[in-house]
Amino acid sequence: MYFNILKRDLKRKKTMNVILLLFTMLASMFVSSGINNVVTVMNGTDYYLDKAGVGDFVVITQNGDGGVEDIIEDSSNVTSYKMEDAYWGSIDNIEVDDEQLDLKSNTIVFQELSDNGITLYQTDNEELTEVKPGEVYVTAGVLKRNELEVGDELELDYYGVENTFTIAGEIKDALLGSDMMGNTRFIFSHEDYEEFEKEELKPMSGCMYNIKSDHIAELQGEIAKGENILFSGSRSMIKMSYVMEMIVAMIVLVLSACLCIVSFVLLKFVITFTINEEFREIGVMKAIGIHNFKIRSIYLTKYFVMSVVGGVIGLFMGIPFGNMLIASVSEKMVLSNDYGIYLNVVGALIVVFVMTGFAYLCTGKVKKSTPVDAIRNGATGERYGKKGKYSLKKTHFSNAFYMAVNDVVSAPRRFMTIIFSFFICSVFVFGLVEVTDTMLSDRLITTFGKKSDAYITSSKLLRMDMISEEGNEDVKTMLSDVEEDLKELGMPGKTNFEVWYKYNVTFDGRTTSICCQQNKYTDTTDYDYIEGSAPQNDKEIAITKQIAEDIGARIGDTVTIDFGSEKKECMVVAYFQTMNQLGSVIRLHQDAPTNMIYANAMMSIQIEFDDEPNAKVIDDRIEELRDFYDTEDVYNAAGFCNDCMKVAGTMQSVQYLLLAITCIVVILVTILMERSFISDETSQIALLKAIGFKDRFIIRWQVYRFLLVAVITEILAVIFTYPITKLWCDPIWSMMGASDVKYYFNPLSLCLVYPGIILLINLITVWLTAGVTKKITCNDVGNVE
Amino acid sequence: MANILEVKDLCKTYVIEKRQNNVLKNVNFSVEEGDMVAIMGPSGSGKSTLLYAVSGMDVPTSGTVNFDGNNLMKMKPNELSDVRLDKMGFIFQQMYMMKNLTILDNIVLPAVESKKSKENKADKVKRAEELMRKLSIIDVADNDINEVSGGQLQRACICRSMINNPKILFADEPTGALNRTSSMEVMEELVKLNDEGTTIMMVTHDAKVAARCKRVLYIVDGNIKGEYVSPQDANLSQADKERKLNTWLMDLGW
Repeated sequence: MYFNILKRDLKRKKTMNVILLLFTMLASMFVSSGINNVVTVMNGTDYYLDKAGVGDFVVITQNGDGGVEDIIEDSSNVTSYKMEDAYWGSIDNIEVDDEQLDLKSNTIVFQELSDNGITLYQTDNEELTEVKPGEVYVTAGVLKRNELEVGDELELDYYGVENTFTIAGEIKDALLGSDMMGNTRFIFSHEDYEEFEKEELKPMSGCMYNIKSDHIAELQGEIAKGENILFSGSRSMIKMSYVMEMIVAMIVLVLSACLCIVSFVLLKFVITFTINEEFREIGVMKAIGIHNFKIRSIYLTKYFVMSVVGGVIGLFMGIPFGNMLIASVSEKMVLSNDYGIYLNVVGALIVVFVMTGFAYLCTGKVKKSTPVDAIRNGATGERYGKKGKYSLKKTHFSNAFYMAVNDVVSAPRRFMTIIFSFFICSVFVFGLVEVTDTMLSDRLITTFGKKSDAYITSSKLLRMDMISEEGNEDVKTMLSDVEEDLKELGMPGKTNFEVWYKYNVTFDGRTTSICCQQNKYTDTTDYDYIEGSAPQNDKEIAITKQIAEDIGARIGDTVTIDFGSEKKECMVVAYFQTMNQLGSVIRLHQDAPTNMIYANAMMSIQIEFDDEPNAKVIDDRIEELRDFYDTEDVYNAAGFCNDCMKVAGTMQSVQYLLLAITCIVVILVTILMERSFISDETSQIALLKAIGFKDRFIIRWQVYRFLLVAVITEILAVIFTYPITKLWCDPIWSMMGASDVKYYFNPLSLCLVYPGIILLINLITVWLTAGVTKKITCNDVGNVE
Repeated sequence: MANILEVKDLCKTYVIEKRQNNVLKNVNFSVEEGDMVAIMGPSGSGKSTLLYAVSGMDVPTSGTVNFDGNNLMKMKPNELSDVRLDKMGFIFQQMYMMKNLTILDNIVLPAVESKKSKENKADKVKRAEELMRKLSIIDVADNDINEVSGGQLQRACICRSMINNPKILFADEPTGALNRTSSMEVMEELVKLNDEGTTIMMVTHDAKVAARCKRVLYIVDGNIKGEYVSPQDANLSQADKERKLNTWLMDLGW
């Protein structure tokens, strides 16, 4: 008999049951994929670095090993190490169809597949084990960036080594492949690589050391004594270089958490709603003497079976969905966890337990109430609550709009599920829009350098051969040539040029190799500082909070910098923020005795036009400069920021993905809630029809009501976007070295476009769903289902 | 008096799992303006179906329903809605009202929606208040629907049904959910409305209520089995009228 009651219930309340099943599936999908993604992302970089075999400390040298190998051999702080050869080239050495490649940095590493190096992975996460002669593997992302395909040919011209190679595939490179490291690795076959081993190429060769050590700080001090070091850093620094990728991963993580919350809120609503609807039957059953346990077990069985069916389907849907969410990150990383599908199963089980738990709690009322209470509660649910007073006689709205407003004012709690779900999704999308807009604006420029009108990063001008003894003179000549060019082009301006050096800095008896930035062609007072005052002479420096933390120096302390030619005692006079080198930077005074031979990188040629042109004119001039120098690498401030971070594009893709998911959630929530409302209001709708109200009035009433709630939610979301975005995003910026980011609130995006899209989706969905009311007839006026 | 409602060969058939169920079988009758007609009959005889079919709330299977000179069966849904809004009033056994509106707002709502009169909203509200005063429920105008008694609520439903000055009032067991006192109060109001010229057609099980009507149609198995015209003798007491009607009903097997 109880089975028959259940069967009839499933048949009779088909719509609500289908919606409940649908949401159980979605909850299971979101939760199972969410948990897996959370664990994957949390362990993401560690898992990847471990799998690839990245050591505790990494040293990269150029022009031989610079004595580093001897230091490592002699050091008691080294447990073991691996060393692999490499040749350093630049984008000038590679062409495809007579055109240069567009790479994230100008530097390219040429290598063979070595047992002494880290493990490289192919795009399908399989280990790269073989490279055939005539073939080359390139770092992931290069093909897409250059619109190339596997099978295309590359021409190599490397100081006498000339050959054509077929692209065999892309590799995921744990050490150099992150957006921040930005170096491209080309892996050749052993046979082809032997061609590089010529005496005249020795100066271009280098080594990569992967060191295992339990005493990183001490080892760092020892390594600092080596020469020709391009990069030295701990595993945590390599890990930090994935911060850009992790931003996207964290967004996926937060999104998954949001979807889990929304799913549970909706499940709670649907179960409470359906069980409230069933109080009439429950009351009748109690009245005829059926025991509480039996009554509860009927509904618990129903919800349990439904949660298991939904859970299992959702579990299988969650696997491709989770992969889709994390796809943007796993393009460059091998992301996985040790638990595999078991985490998805745990997620699905949680949904089953939570849903059964909700059902158990909701049916708990059955135990407490008498048959009469049960019947009255079931039949009149809302009637005993005092309604808000918003009189029709006082309103200037149309009837339908008045009823919509009155419904919301009278029973706001009824709409909390909608408000909560829409708010969570919207505030997150808007936050992401705000972050992306900030990244695409010039707000972050002072965290990358000095604000100028234009920036040239082309390797045609920033030649690698300027990193030499005579480099300072070469730079001077290059800058004056550019100024001449500007004059010729009718856009006179001044240039300046920022160079990064790697110097050993000693404080409190500890020596560390630190990246120092200097712009000899402008004043240090032209830069921004967050505390203290700009360095006034070559004995003063500014440091970042990160450096202060790393070496322990504070404003007023004196550090010793070994400039190569001389050692100088420099006083820390200010703190500044920068996202370069993840915030581990010292700013030198323009007169500090630097030498290009110690240069680590050249940032850009910065141009400040004499006539202070507006943004439009600057953009026009940038186009002109691109034509003149035959390069795309000329940017305005916003473009330069984007070029430095290289993540805005990915952020935009994630933003669109998130918007799509939000729209899907909005559609589902709207359908669910609207169908619930209609089901609850069937007799009222029928009454309106009976007394002469038309279908279009009823649809308008339903649409206005939903839209009103959605508009309120979107307004709240826009208001709360800034503080909530600050809350989740500031720690990420701070990890990257920027402790005080001023977000760019683009009114067009945040007040019009994105809320507009969500509202439009909502409007269309509720309009179509409300169409169901056309099927309600006057005869349904007595329908209490 | 002219006929306001003419029903010819009205049939209504429900098909439940391929099985035809003829609820109304060639029903014919007419209602004059100012008439007050009760429809009686045993449970399941088709009384409510007939009421809903002739009021345009339900679509008959065949036959014609002429209301105020127009065939309801040829009207489009929106035209039917307009007729129900402007020319008909409805009272149900359960006092259905919009849950979130006050009593007054529930009454004013159809008036504001109607384009029949050129009154402004304030005038419509004033008219609603007059109706409420007439039916002695003005004190509960601003109350929620759960704050008034069943009798008051049904009188509010009558006010709502009268707000657009309908030509006919349909009532489906208007006193069915009320106690004896409230039933009598509601019937008093309906009789008064009829005396003022409103045509009323109601379904009832209660002979006491039916005795207040001018005519009674007795329906059995979807057919009108008999028609009773209440004697218009002023000397006849209400009790006598009820007795006469009861006798007639007993003859028909009531």
